[in-house]
Amino acid sequence: MKERIGQTEVQKKKISISRVVLYVCLLITSVTIVMPLIWVIFTSFKEKAEIISIPPTLLPRIWTLSNYIKLPKVAPFFLFFLNSIFICSVSTFFIIFGCSMAGYIFAKYKFKGQTFLFFLVMGTILVPLQAYLIPLYLIVRSIGWINTYRGMVFPLIIMSSGIFFLRQNILAIPDELIDAARIDGCSEFRVFWTIIFPLSFSATAAIAIVNWVYTWSQVFIWYLVVANSEKLFTMELGLMYFQRNYVTDYGGIMAACVLCLLPILAVFLALRTRIIEGVSFTGMKY
Amino acid sequence: MRLVSLSDQRKFLSLKIDMKRNTNSIVKKKFYYNWLGRPNSLKRSQVLFILTVFIPLIALFLIIRIIPIVTVFGISLTNLHLIRPVTKFVGIRNFVHLLGDEQFISSFFNSVEYVVVAVPLEIVLGLTFALMLNRKVKFESLYETLYFIPYILPMVPVAIIWKWFYTPGSFGLANYLLGSLGLPYVPWMSNPKIALLITIGIHVWKNLGYFVIIFLVGLKNVPNNLREASKIDGATNWQTIRLIELPLIKPIILYGVVMATVWSWSAFTEVYIMTQGTDISTGAEIQVLVYRLYQEAFVFHNMGRGCAVSLVVFLISLGIVLLEFKILRWKER
Repeated sequence: MKERIGQTEVQKKKISISRVVLYVCLLITSVTIVMPLIWVIFTSFKEKAEIISIPPTLLPRIWTLSNYIKLPKVAPFFLFFLNSIFICSVSTFFIIFGCSMAGYIFAKYKFKGQTFLFFLVMGTILVPLQAYLIPLYLIVRSIGWINTYRGMVFPLIIMSSGIFFLRQNILAIPDELIDAARIDGCSEFRVFWTIIFPLSFSATAAIAIVNWVYTWSQVFIWYLVVANSEKLFTMELGLMYFQRNYVTDYGGIMAACVLCLLPILAVFLALRTRIIEGVSFTGMKY
Repeated sequence: MRLVSLSDQRKFLSLKIDMKRNTNSIVKKKFYYNWLGRPNSLKRSQVLFILTVFIPLIALFLIIRIIPIVTVFGISLTNLHLIRPVTKFVGIRNFVHLLGDEQFISSFFNSVEYVVVAVPLEIVLGLTFALMLNRKVKFESLYETLYFIPYILPMVPVAIIWKWFYTPGSFGLANYLLGSLGLPYVPWMSNPKIALLITIGIHVWKNLGYFVIIFLVGLKNVPNNLREASKIDGATNWQTIRLIELPLIKPIILYGVVMATVWSWSAFTEVYIMTQGTDISTGAEIQVLVYRLYQEAFVFHNMGRGCAVSLVVFLISLGIVLLEFKILRWKER
């Protein structure tokens, strides 16, 4: 009996040591991963001389906002911010209605060629935007939408993985609800609007957030190709040209980086679980 | 005038007879409408709804996705140039040119290095972190969030921050850290080999969180009684992981490998940012395939040659993906 108790105690001790190692590993890796961000946020509040001082410090000795205050004088970052918000919103608006309607039809209707259309839509998931960038550019150019908001948003208003995600969700809604509404005289659009849309709303919201994050942060190459005038720049483009022209102004560059990172960080921290759920399903692909 | 076939007339007659027998049954006249359905019928309203939604949607899909993907093949066979007015069919001359182009060859091998270094790192580190997180740790969602943060951030500021981190000489933080450990300074930016590796490092740092999350979701779905059963049978932790958990999440690992390959093969933004500015002497040496595509098509306006490069990107990534499916499926047997 005594031996047994001794054994379990030894086992417990062993387990606790491995637990400690586990926690230390987790802590070190996760802090290392976010360390550059923390460093940059603090750096943006430092004075110019302190940024390049030789033993670098994490916390600024003198807190200053001068890096942020001088930004609007050098480049119209507020305009870039509004441009980004505008493009993301328009794209997300189209995605919400397009994806949920298409998902509804793929889930609840049967017609000829449905499977073919479904595979046509799904087949484009694995092709990255970079592979068909040039013909897409030529098409947008031939419509005459180069250097316009329309041209920048145009390729971002459909999302195949979103259609798939919503189709899977709408399949779970019972058919009887829809039939009951039809018997009561609902038109097809009204069935969608009063039954399907509210019932699949949480999935739609996940898609909308994922799309927002995607258009804000993952399609740099398209904006780079399409937008040439400063009036249309998104945050990322503005930041890129800013750091190209002011290479040595580390304080200004860091402040601009923080401005570009903060909105998306705030959205992420506010809607964390939704984003993780949506991203792990769709992979933030189109 | 509507044509009624003989058999229908017979049916009609038999119905009439039926009606005489049973006065309660109602005889409906049979209509022959097309696929649109009768006016005001359920079918017609459904058909109209499907059409009004699908015609614009499919049209958009055609314009934005299908047509561009198909026309890449066509344009790569021409000498389409935005400034030259005449476009001719040149056959495979673009591809022949690429084979002799030193810049293309070097960018090709840089992309290969990208995949070879980034994919194993992302998968192994992602699996390690997911396995650590899956051991009922406290504050799990906190660690999850910290791992995941880099993934949702825009690439441009991230690349700029890392570039600043690797500033050459004694100003850069990376060199300062090395110096404080007593190690010599590393010429991060001026040596193209190292510059490419740190660019890959940025890519891995940014995408790692995604793989941690999908592997964690997979591990959570492994039924707990299997783990308990293996523990009762006396398996060590490592044996449980190797023989139970990893084989069960194999499909997710396969998906992760495919995604990692596609992303690192088509990487662009971080390389583009790293080659910008004056504090680098590398520039062209660390370019990858998509960077080459961008240069050919949007700097030199040579669309035909650009499409040839993007065809290489597209077909080889497709080939790698199919190969990975084959290898990992084959191991399953």
